[in-house]
Amino acid sequence: MTLIPTIDEYGCSAHGDCVAIAPTAFALEETAVVIGAATDEELIAAAEACPALAITLTDAGTGQVVFP
Amino acid sequence: MSADRSGVVIAGGGLAAQRCAETLRKRGYEDPVRIVCAEAESPYDRSPLSKRVAAGAADGESVRFRDRGWYDDNAVELLLGRAASGLDPAARRLDLDDGTALGYDDLLIATGAAPRSLPMLAGYKNAFPLRTLADARRLSGELRAGSRLAVVGAGFIGQEVAATARAEGVEVTIVEALDLPLAGLLGADVGRWIVDLHLDEGVRVLTGAKLESAVGNDRVEQLALGGDERIGCDVVVVGVGVAPAAGWVAGSGLDPAGIKTDAAGRTGVAHVYAAGDVSRPFDARRGEHVRTEHWDAASRQGVAVAVAILGETPRAPALPSFWSDQYGLRIQYVGHAEGADEAKISGDPGARDFHVLYQRCGRPVAALAVARPREFAAMRLLIGSDGEPDSEPTDTDEPPTKEMSR
Repeated sequence: MTLIPTIDEYGCSAHGDCVAIAPTAFALEETAVVIGAATDEELIAAAEACPALAITLTDAGTGQVVFP
Repeated sequence: MSADRSGVVIAGGGLAAQRCAETLRKRGYEDPVRIVCAEAESPYDRSPLSKRVAAGAADGESVRFRDRGWYDDNAVELLLGRAASGLDPAARRLDLDDGTALGYDDLLIATGAAPRSLPMLAGYKNAFPLRTLADARRLSGELRAGSRLAVVGAGFIGQEVAATARAEGVEVTIVEALDLPLAGLLGADVGRWIVDLHLDEGVRVLTGAKLESAVGNDRVEQLALGGDERIGCDVVVVGVGVAPAAGWVAGSGLDPAGIKTDAAGRTGVAHVYAAGDVSRPFDARRGEHVRTEHWDAASRQGVAVAVAILGETPRAPALPSFWSDQYGLRIQYVGHAEGADEAKISGDPGARDFHVLYQRCGRPVAALAVARPREFAAMRLLIGSDGEPDSEPTDTDEPPTKEMSR
């Protein structure tokens, strides 16, 4: 499974947990932004840690939302 | 979308409701979704109310979760200005206060909580809680530089209101019944730090203060405290906690004092779920039903209910977590500090740059961070992994301060 992260800029409140967990995938500007790739495991850990649940993970193969 | 399906009805229009509706649609739910909002406002986020709206720094529109077009595009119907008033689970019918009723295939109860009031402040025009957008607008209209605000209750809402008003040049007094705010959960050191933070910012903080009565005609002019102390005020914000807004479920088999659910938001009644402040979900780590009132919990519970309605298995609940923004500082908390036997402070509280790792029998159970987001993220992972019921004890319980320091 390859996961594609997207960030709901409205939901993001710039806590930075995703950047701490998956620094290759996320960076913090005004809100968090997607800057690159990370393992599925890292992406899931980052999405779960996000206090605002602002990260959506979509399965690239099926197009199904797997998180949240 | 089949016309013969009643779909999901959500009673309440806050964060849990919005998250549930969004997750249902994101994951392909095609039957009707209806949200019943007691306020005549489309769903909005309460967390900025004490931070930005009260200062007039944000208008009502900026706190909406989505613009009205989102609800049209996603076929989520909003019923505004109507409140749930009764439930007949056998008939799968939700009664509304305008005399109408809605049938449902699945019902989410997310009616939130109502602020507790103080009898001695009842009826005064300038004394109110801060819970709704209307409250925030009212406060914004009352506050101006040099006016005098009394905040009753030094919980996080009261603290944020104090900080927001202080930034506008308002003279602020916090009146707190306890000797140290939040010390029961966060410990005496953090309680004292909170008091000092507000004192340093020019807020008057009266702890161990007993509010006895209010003086004034239709507006409170003074608060009378024990020991004959009088506090002059132009406006009073009451932040003394909330109680579940669930009186309307009485007689349905659900508990109006907080609706018990499993971790996925299922109540004991078929096709009825609950989430957010109104609910009391089972916490496997503590072995009991716990109501948290956290923004984060309402969000995750709303998602979990949507996933459960779709017949899938929701993820295990996250640790309790909250944050507060005051004086440009972000304060973050995660875990279960109640019952901790040790609180290790790292950094410099006086410089507003520190974190606390709470431990119980040498194991990390909770963390608090002030202006340390990276350390906080690491501690969240540490506590989350260590707290697993089946995890092996580790011999490295040291906080990850060293390698995480910037």
